[in-house]
Amino acid sequence: MSTTGTTEAAAPAPVRQRRRLDRRWAGLALLLAAAVYAPFQLVPFHVFQLTMVLVYAVALLGLNLLVGHAGQISLGHGAFFAVGAYASAVLLDRWDLPYPLTLPVAAAVAFLLGLALGVPAMRLRGLYLALVTLAIAIFLVPLLKRFEELTGGSMGLTLAKPQPPAWSGLAEDQWLYFLTLAVAVAAFLLAASLLRSRVGRALHAVRDNEIAAEVMGVRLSFYKTLAFAWSAMYAGAAGCVYTWVIGFVSPDSFTVNLSITMLAGLVVGGLGSLAGPVLGALFVMFVPSIAQDVNDAAPGVIFGLLIIVVMYVAPTGLAGLAGRLTRKIPRKE
Amino acid sequence: MSADLVVEDLTAGYGDAQVLHGLRLTVREGEVCAILGPNGAGKTTLLRALSGMVRTRGTIRLGDAALTGRPPDAVARLGVAHVPEGRGTFMPLTVEENLRLGAYVRRGPDVETDLERVYAYFPVLRKRLKQAAGSLSGGEQQMLALGRALMLRPRLLLLDEPSLGLAPIVTRELFGIVRTINEEERTTVVVVEQNAHLALGVAQQAHVLETGRIVLSGTAAQIQADEQVARSYLGYRV
Ligand SMILES: Nc1ncnc2c1ncn2[C@@H]1O[C@H](COP(=O)(O)OP(=O)(O)OP(=O)(O)O)[C@@H](O)[C@H]1O
Ligand SMILES: [Mg+2]
Repeated sequence: MSTTGTTEAAAPAPVRQRRRLDRRWAGLALLLAAAVYAPFQLVPFHVFQLTMVLVYAVALLGLNLLVGHAGQISLGHGAFFAVGAYASAVLLDRWDLPYPLTLPVAAAVAFLLGLALGVPAMRLRGLYLALVTLAIAIFLVPLLKRFEELTGGSMGLTLAKPQPPAWSGLAEDQWLYFLTLAVAVAAFLLAASLLRSRVGRALHAVRDNEIAAEVMGVRLSFYKTLAFAWSAMYAGAAGCVYTWVIGFVSPDSFTVNLSITMLAGLVVGGLGSLAGPVLGALFVMFVPSIAQDVNDAAPGVIFGLLIIVVMYVAPTGLAGLAGRLTRKIPRKE
Repeated sequence: MSADLVVEDLTAGYGDAQVLHGLRLTVREGEVCAILGPNGAGKTTLLRALSGMVRTRGTIRLGDAALTGRPPDAVARLGVAHVPEGRGTFMPLTVEENLRLGAYVRRGPDVETDLERVYAYFPVLRKRLKQAAGSLSGGEQQMLALGRALMLRPRLLLLDEPSLGLAPIVTRELFGIVRTINEEERTTVVVVEQNAHLALGVAQQAHVLETGRIVLSGTAAQIQADEQVARSYLGYRV
């Protein structure tokens, strides 16, 4: 993005910064245009795959707030995804709620649960925190099975998918795609504005130097817990959209593997950048099935090897690698 | 109303290990107090106790406010800015973000005014605004740390070895600025420093700490004249 050439060095700092921002917004607008255009060019199955990438991107945006920006760890993100998915499913199944209303409810439920679990969990650090969040992932989903009345037990719940309104002229897969895209764009803008605010700076301070943050008046436990609750909220929203798109939830959809894959995907995509979650979502969506294709007997091994290769080639994740490559181009002019 | 720093019967430590054994000192509002002492004496621990980072007993008062037992963020809100040992720079953040974080406990438009004030003290920071703080030189980082502390508009400024790792000329410049800040803003300062000459140059009062006890107190001039101190801490000239 930024060049180190002499022309830019000569420009006064505010101009240089404006130019960089302009270019950034131009890139985002282009990406959005491509995203709007894509479903009219792809076959329904590929539209569905793209939709799922967006669903995971929303979840990873939240995980990134916690891991990339607040410097904490969670191996239980999939559990909050499941909570959002089930909240939405139960609301649709039981109370026939109009589906747009399930989104704020699912997000709120996940947020509150994140807050409740975050208060004790965020007193811990590092490996202890990883273990406790892993425990959340292990226990929460089987717990859902217990409330058979509501959740359909191990059979799960099957739901009607949101249908495109007649005025739109869209097919079902396209409509679901655009719903998801709208949620993803909103989630992205919310995260971006959050991170630019005083709160975002406080999160970064907690991540970079706890002691210095504390003596400047930043309350560590408050921000860690808040970041955990936000990440849960994002996962909940993503889970809710998942239910709309798939039309089915069961405990088997949300195994511990999902949580681990999400964290791995985010790290591979790139921590602490806004592009990381999108790249990570591609990883979560495609790499497990690629691994399955390469070696049916041991997909875990292939999966693990792929992670090692990526981390070796791009220690700051794919977003960091992309950043390095784009920065190299102008230098050669 | 005076805002003297009053410390009485202060003990502090880590876990079971007690490091400070009953300190008593007063720093009058607007004065600079130097803390001298050998490595491991407990100087850093004293500053940590003042800003609530370690478990303490006894009394710490700043004006009317009792600081004892408050967590660090609450102490910061009472106007105590601590530049920790090792500067506490947020390396990946930009210089400007670091400075704005200094004003975290305050809000409002006067943050911009204060940024200008910090740039006036440290013109070099203005040139580096959008640069990652981790890419600054050691001296620049120390200036950033001091500038960030000023953003809090502190009533009490705690400095832990600001000269550490800096060239003598940079150190002298830094102490010059500390003196200016103290004179212009009437900020009370407690400075821990190995470079006793410089510290005694700006301080009105000084205390010598050894193994968690104050072994000598006096005006800066008295301490400077003390033979024992001269042998231990003033053995070299800058
Ligand atoms: N985090 C800690 N946990 C346990 N003990 C500590 C900790 N920090 C310091 N100590 C102990 O407290 C004592 C005083 O340490 P302190 O850092 O206050 O000394 P100091 O006077 O600042 O020394 P220096 O001049 O080397 O910086 C030392 O014996 C040290 O081992
Ligand atoms: Mg020390």
